[in-house]
Amino acid sequence: MTKIISLFILEAVFCFTFFTVSYSDINLIQTTCKKTPFYDLCVLTLKSDPRSSTADVSGLARIVADSVNAKAIATLNQVSALLKSVKDPTLEKALEGCIVSYNTIIQADIPVAIDAIEKNNPKFAVQSATDAGNEAQACENSFAEKPSNSPIFSGNKAVHDLSVVLQSIASLLL
Amino acid sequence: PLFYKGWYHLFYQYNPNAAVWGHIVWGHAVSKDLIHWLHLPLAMAADQWYDKNGVWTGSATILHDGKIVMLYTGSTTEGVQVQNLAYPADQYDPLLVHWVKYPRNPVLVPPPGIGPNDFRDPTTAWLTSEGKWRITIGSKINKTGIALVYDTKDFINYEMLDGLLHAVPGTGMWECVDFFPVSETENNGLGTSINGPGVKHVVKASLDDDRHDYYAIGTYNDRNGTWIPDRPNIDVGIGLRYDYGIYYAAKTFYDQNKKRRVLWGWIGESDSEAADVKKGWASVQSIPRTILFDKKTGTHLLQWPVEEIDSLRLKGKEFNQVKIQAGSVVPLDFDSATQLDIIAEFKIDSDALEKATRSSDASFDCATSGGAAERGALGPFGLLVLADERLSEQTPVYFYMTKGSDGNLKTFFCNDQSRSSKASYVDKHIYGSLVPVLRGENLSIRILVDHSIIESFGQGGRTVITSRVYPTKAIYGAAKVFLFNNATELNVTASLKIWQMNSAFIQPYPNL
Repeated sequence: MTKIISLFILEAVFCFTFFTVSYSDINLIQTTCKKTPFYDLCVLTLKSDPRSSTADVSGLARIVADSVNAKAIATLNQVSALLKSVKDPTLEKALEGCIVSYNTIIQADIPVAIDAIEKNNPKFAVQSATDAGNEAQACENSFAEKPSNSPIFSGNKAVHDLSVVLQSIASLLL
Repeated sequence: PLFYKGWYHLFYQYNPNAAVWGHIVWGHAVSKDLIHWLHLPLAMAADQWYDKNGVWTGSATILHDGKIVMLYTGSTTEGVQVQNLAYPADQYDPLLVHWVKYPRNPVLVPPPGIGPNDFRDPTTAWLTSEGKWRITIGSKINKTGIALVYDTKDFINYEMLDGLLHAVPGTGMWECVDFFPVSETENNGLGTSINGPGVKHVVKASLDDDRHDYYAIGTYNDRNGTWIPDRPNIDVGIGLRYDYGIYYAAKTFYDQNKKRRVLWGWIGESDSEAADVKKGWASVQSIPRTILFDKKTGTHLLQWPVEEIDSLRLKGKEFNQVKIQAGSVVPLDFDSATQLDIIAEFKIDSDALEKATRSSDASFDCATSGGAAERGALGPFGLLVLADERLSEQTPVYFYMTKGSDGNLKTFFCNDQSRSSKASYVDKHIYGSLVPVLRGENLSIRILVDHSIIESFGQGGRTVITSRVYPTKAIYGAAKVFLFNNATELNVTASLKIWQMNSAFIQPYPNL
């Protein structure tokens, strides 16, 4: 009789604990994302990565950094594809500038941000994230056809906005 | 930094692999005169478990027998911040090329209640009245910035004092804490252990949260290792800054050679990282500055470029009593204005000040103003540096005076980057702050210009602004200097000297 009761209590405790863990990590995602200017983007990005269920704020920053990197690589590929068939010299120049911007994001900004988060010196992650957002913005600004958007507008916007999210989350680690 | 056996040493944070932050180790350079420099091999690399993730900031202490010990922060393989001891491999080598790490490092680990990432940058030690060595290390508890205190006899065993040197709520992590005495009466620096009447102590902290260096002047109590600011309303982190521009992680040392306290600071880049990667380097050290207590105000420190910089002056020109009417720009006949030392004084008609309109808006701030293009009754006026002939690019360094509704005058000292370059991705903010101007003082500015670096000293160094600008047109032979006065109710008379500056001499040390 005692054994069954103990087992029942144990199971109840286990279920309660499990429920508490799930609830609190969604809570961490929500409270963290509320401190960024792009709440929905932040929540979506974090929730779609399984690591977020056990991550602390530092881990959440890492997930966003990886996402910026992935989006940057995708956008860089788009730029390269466009460069293969471009005829207009102004457009070609803008695209070449974007290659430089995106190479900087992928080879300098994101590795430094990840390194800084891992080494617990978050201000360099903030600085790199800021730069990544600026590089994406600079790329977008370099296309002549204002006020309409560039051919890679959605890529630039995604990288820019996620970089801002990364900057905000890294600032929480200061 | 330190002076030892005839040589000035600078150890600096360096990434040998890239023009971005990472893989931080200790670079090393030496000079006999702060002008001719030799690059030596890396002093310390990240080769132990206790500094594998970074050989970060540290400080040297010169012991009674003249030997040097170095305490520095290492970031361990687990990313924990610890303090380590190192010393020269050969104390008789004046160049201090090789360094040895104490075999039983770390000597200090984060104490209970302090986070593993909130414990770094130990200071130079000073002697207590009991004959022990005392250091302070910056940290934080929640959002309160603090300075922990430790006593030691051998730099290996430490006792942490119960109290803190000081703490200021809301300031966040205190990095690169510096603690040093200044004389209230003498015009020389003081050794770090000096205490007594006529001596005040400065606490300085680099705030991680906003990347600015703040200082406060106050009184040190040796018995309990505490310090109180003279003016709590301008306490550490909420009051005065060393520099209102891009300037961080600064640190002083006592130069026993010339009996002065010298300040080194890190000037970062304000262009894109893409540009940094392309040019292959990033960040510079400021021209070293002497630090003195400002006897006239009693509230500020004075910073001034070290006198050795004067030896880089080449040909100079003097311009006397140049009248600048309200709303005008005066070109100065001086070519290739890219490496300059400018000392300028501005006289204002006191009648004009009397008659000037009072403003009910008391909220001027360089950063939120319209820069040099925003006209006020009593400002802006000053100099345009790194400007091309057509003024398509220009960096104004100037004064802006306001007269409150009570008739009181305030003077601001600003540096306006908004039109400094046609390039799109460079910082275009306006830097600056209030500068105290006492009765009878003329307004004075000293500016050191070096291509993309501008260091400006207002009122003898009471307020200093460092900025990085990246002109595309106002470069080399096309760079010029102008006087300007964009005020509406004030004529200004300027007298100035401008010198072309030679480049410093920086070489690798041969045969090493």
